Amino acid sequence: MKGRRVVITACSAITPIGHTRAEIVDSLRRGVSGVKPLREDHLLSKFIHSQVFGTVDYPIAFDFRRTFRKTMGPVAYYACQVAKEALDQAGLPQEFVTSGRLGVAFGSTHGSPTVQREIYKTFFGASQTEFRAIGAVDYLKSMVHTTAVNITKMFGITGRVISSSTACTTSSQSIGYGYESVKFGMQDAMLCGGADEYDTTTVAVFDNLLACSTAFNDRPGCTPRPFDRQRDGLVVGEGAGAVLLEEYEHARKRGAAILGEVVGFACNNNGGDLILPNRAGISETLRIGLDDAALTADEVDFISAHATGTKMGDVIEAQAIHAVYGDGPLVTGLKGYMGHTMGSCGAIETILTLYMMEQGFVAPTLNLENIDERCSMLRHVQEITPATIGIGAIQNFAFGGVNTNLLIKRFV
Amino acid sequence: MTREEITSEILNIFSRDFEIEQPGLDSDLRETYEFDSVDAIELLLGIERFLKSELTHDEKKMAMGIRTINQIIDYVEGLVRVRGLETHA
Repeated sequence: MKGRRVVITACSAITPIGHTRAEIVDSLRRGVSGVKPLREDHLLSKFIHSQVFGTVDYPIAFDFRRTFRKTMGPVAYYACQVAKEALDQAGLPQEFVTSGRLGVAFGSTHGSPTVQREIYKTFFGASQTEFRAIGAVDYLKSMVHTTAVNITKMFGITGRVISSSTACTTSSQSIGYGYESVKFGMQDAMLCGGADEYDTTTVAVFDNLLACSTAFNDRPGCTPRPFDRQRDGLVVGEGAGAVLLEEYEHARKRGAAILGEVVGFACNNNGGDLILPNRAGISETLRIGLDDAALTADEVDFISAHATGTKMGDVIEAQAIHAVYGDGPLVTGLKGYMGHTMGSCGAIETILTLYMMEQGFVAPTLNLENIDERCSMLRHVQEITPATIGIGAIQNFAFGGVNTNLLIKRFV
Repeated sequence: MTREEITSEILNIFSRDFEIEQPGLDSDLRETYEFDSVDAIELLLGIERFLKSELTHDEKKMAMGIRTINQIIDYVEGLVRVRGLETHA
């Protein structure tokens, strides 16, 4: 369906490999890993086999007034920081921000687990002396849509709110549904993205499912290893990413810098198993995305693969990419640098694709040394490769059988 | 527990939990300090800890009309009386 053109006019990310664009690009160019030893959490960490985590270990100078801070858990701090940076960068007039024509699509895997943990302690802790009321703000800090509504509060945004919470496709859905909101005229701009905070609960979940990397606990930077023969599972990480989507004429008229154009989006479901990756479902979402963008497979130059580094997931994804694209596009699994940042990975991988698009290079899949022969039919990137990315595809697949495909075009 | 002790603790809660220093005792807290309904619920939790006593549902509802520090102090004085916690200087 033809609709209005949707461009990206600002973006910002907090990642295990850096915060500013310069830091992140430098880490990609130098092959820096953001995977670190798992921190002691006095709850779960000593029971978890995987002892690595994609960690944001640098200070961030959050400068929010108390009236905004009071309803934020760590995940909302991340979300509001990248949202603030994206809005500052975009320079939208204040009257537009509060007009109702700007909306927010932002989510996280499960709100703030750090705050939820404190709530459970209140109720199930051994102490009998504490008052057992939940603080008024605890729910607001921990609820699933905490990121989206803390953003609306901080900036007085009065448009629509979409808060997807579909694990690994959370923020790719945010961007996709934000794109559709602008494309079809419901909003003129959407602030989209996702965030997830440091959380060992998620590691424990994947660890129980035998999906986490455990063989590199003494060498965290060597895992995850997307498409590599020695890969042994995913690494959970934290981070946040925000992009501002804007209707093209609206952006052009105000002279906004345009970083790229969203030209297609697809989301489908495997309609079956909630855990196992599904080649048919994934292949279909890649095809639907191309159809939505009115592109042929040979027009796509670069694929940011979901590539979590699990034994089966990477093979199924490689087969799906090959079935749809052959060996045409360059393929990188960006999780090699920072692990799986969960609810933020789609937004972060979109932003890293925009950075590489602007800088004219494709970063290699970190830790991809010996390609698994079952994944070898693709055009894997194993060293910094100068390239003009005209069209980039960002693929994400989630527990629950949810698949997404975002297509981004270089703006010239 | 004297009115002075109550005043001191309420101001302490406002400084520690709400980052509001030396508020005017008769200023409208919402208009002057952006003290909203969420803060009011948090304040009640602070008062419970201060009195080491849980407030009843009706007592909490009574607090919802409060607008100033002096009204909060009056309210806590009432709670103290009901619980027989008052001392006279």
